[in-house]
Amino acid sequence: MPRRARSVSWRRLSSLRVRLIAVFAAVALVTAVSASGIAYWLNRDAVLKRAQNASLNDFRGALTRTVSQLPLHPTCQDLSALAVQVASSGLAYDVVVVDESLPDCVASSDPIAFTVKQVPPALVAAVNKPRETGPGNPYAYHLYWQRVNLAGPYVVGGTKVAPDGPTAYMFKSLQNERADLNTLGWSLAIATLLALVGSALLAQGASATVLKPVRRLGDAARRLGEGKLDTRLDVEGNDELADLARTFNRTAESLSEQVAELSAREAQSRRFVADMSHELRTPLTAMTAVTDILEDEADSLDPMIEPAVRIVVSETRRLSDLVENLMEVTRFDAGTAKLVADEVDMADLIMSCIDGRAWYDAVELDAPRGILAVVDPRRLDVVFANLIGNALKHGGSPVKVKVRQDDDAGTVVVQVSDGGPGIPEDVLPHVFDRFYKADKGRARSEGSGLGLSIAEANALIHGGAITAANHPEGGAVFTLTLPLVQPPAPGPEEAR
Amino acid sequence: MTSVSYLLLIEDDDAIRTGLELALTRQGHRVASAASGEDGLRLFKEQRPDLIVLDVMLPGIDGFEVCRRIRRTDQLPIILLTARSDDIDVVVGLESGADDYVVKPVQPRVLDARIRAVLRRGERESSDSAAYGGLVIDRSAMTVTKDGQDLQLTPTELRLLLELSRRPGQALSRQQLLRLVWEHDYLGDSRLVDACVQRLRAKVEDVPSAPTLIRTVRGVGYRLDPPA
Repeated sequence: MPRRARSVSWRRLSSLRVRLIAVFAAVALVTAVSASGIAYWLNRDAVLKRAQNASLNDFRGALTRTVSQLPLHPTCQDLSALAVQVASSGLAYDVVVVDESLPDCVASSDPIAFTVKQVPPALVAAVNKPRETGPGNPYAYHLYWQRVNLAGPYVVGGTKVAPDGPTAYMFKSLQNERADLNTLGWSLAIATLLALVGSALLAQGASATVLKPVRRLGDAARRLGEGKLDTRLDVEGNDELADLARTFNRTAESLSEQVAELSAREAQSRRFVADMSHELRTPLTAMTAVTDILEDEADSLDPMIEPAVRIVVSETRRLSDLVENLMEVTRFDAGTAKLVADEVDMADLIMSCIDGRAWYDAVELDAPRGILAVVDPRRLDVVFANLIGNALKHGGSPVKVKVRQDDDAGTVVVQVSDGGPGIPEDVLPHVFDRFYKADKGRARSEGSGLGLSIAEANALIHGGAITAANHPEGGAVFTLTLPLVQPPAPGPEEAR
Repeated sequence: MTSVSYLLLIEDDDAIRTGLELALTRQGHRVASAASGEDGLRLFKEQRPDLIVLDVMLPGIDGFEVCRRIRRTDQLPIILLTARSDDIDVVVGLESGADDYVVKPVQPRVLDARIRAVLRRGERESSDSAAYGGLVIDRSAMTVTKDGQDLQLTPTELRLLLELSRRPGQALSRQQLLRLVWEHDYLGDSRLVDACVQRLRAKVEDVPSAPTLIRTVRGVGYRLDPPA
């Protein structure tokens, strides 16, 4: 069982629907992710740069404006005032001013939050380091900046106010920018997700438009296979699926026509055989009526004539049997054979079959009385006559008939066995075939070759069966199994 | 030993008719024959035979119709010649009032046996009479009267009633009745019994659809219940 489940789930994974969804989702994902990614990075760059440059330029401008008010040797108070003044111009940033000559002075626009300690050492070093002045570089000290993470994202910038004077640092919070960028990021992510979902739904829809007709085709093909030859598909649209549907319809039409033709021909030939057999009856009835007379008078005929008369008599009887058998066979073939059922004691039935043909000395019957079965006595008489007759003719003594009731299976089992040579192995599978005679050379054998096939058909019409086998101790054994009670027949019920 | 019986054979095919006439005559019967239903009915009225052998497939009026018409006025034994035993023919034939049927092609000795069996059914038995309610069966006179009125029964119907009434309260199976009444060689057609019982009930019972005298015993057959 586990193997079955695995193969089914593999099939599901590789199904059309899943493939389509996977492809659509991949395309959507790649597109959305690339687009979002590019958008986010470009935006981030621009936003941050803008914020930074704006504040740094403002810082520089404000410093330039206010530095002239600074005395040559500023006090701590002067430095604080400078810090506050620069910080309070325009954009919101904080300023810290430091002077080497006043190491204990904390000049900050917000002394609690920002001091020189927050400035990264690398920036301090860069700011304090003089540079070579030359044609491309008019100033020794420049404005440097760095992004740091204090309690949030900050950009820190620093520059020397005067070549030998204090150094000013500014702290600009990039929290707002980061918040904006985060919002952007989330929006893009949600959009990507929606794109994925949308693509999956689209894929589902697309696969449905293909799968529904495919499934309809599959159902129609199955119905066709079951024999409903009038199955047709509705042709919708003009695409390849519509073409497929049209082809299917044409095929089904052709198939149903062929089947109808074959059935008609078969019915016709069956009718022909039935009519022929029926027509044969009439002359046979007249001939049968007089064969007894011919037989009785044959002794008193001219010895030259007598054999001729005897031939007519015997051949008439043979012909009569053959036509009877043929009619039985056509009835079975046409499905018009009917069961005239009655409850019968099996021992009685077999006994009267044996007695009626004066076989009582030749057959050992082992049949307990009281086994009652609902059967057609005429048909079973035919079956037993055939089986016992064959045993006597082709088998050898002792011919035994054994009847048993099988309560578990609800059947009665009749075994007809003989002590003869048995049935050759190559003949055994064909023994119930029509016109199959075991000994091909014996063309003049009494039987028509239909006896066993009719016996089998009679057993089948009762819902039973006959099997042939060789007894391990020699001789052939034919076993007839019949249900004790018939299933309700569809034919007309006996009137009570 | 029965006296020579006078048979009327109604069969349209010339060869069959000639052949059967020949065979039956050799077996000791006196035979008159007709080639159509109309001729048959005419001969029947003129000749008053003891038994009719009737082919069901006749041109003009078919065998069933002939049977029905004869039954309107007469209860003499009728044996049908039919094409096959499992066709609807048999049931219809039995309902038209035939006593028995044989299947073509028929061996003359089989037909002879049936004829003699049917004729035997009409033989008198030396027994007293029995009465069941308004029904009186006189075995010696071979008559049955219901409430004083003579009942017209065919020999088969009469024999069936006699066999059932010989064993009052005892259920008889169809196969037993076939052997007792129809005397067939080996196991026969149970429909013969059913059809005959139906016809008998129609004549003997007060309410044929709710029989009180001849009862069906499910799973067994039929039984005559004498009224309490």
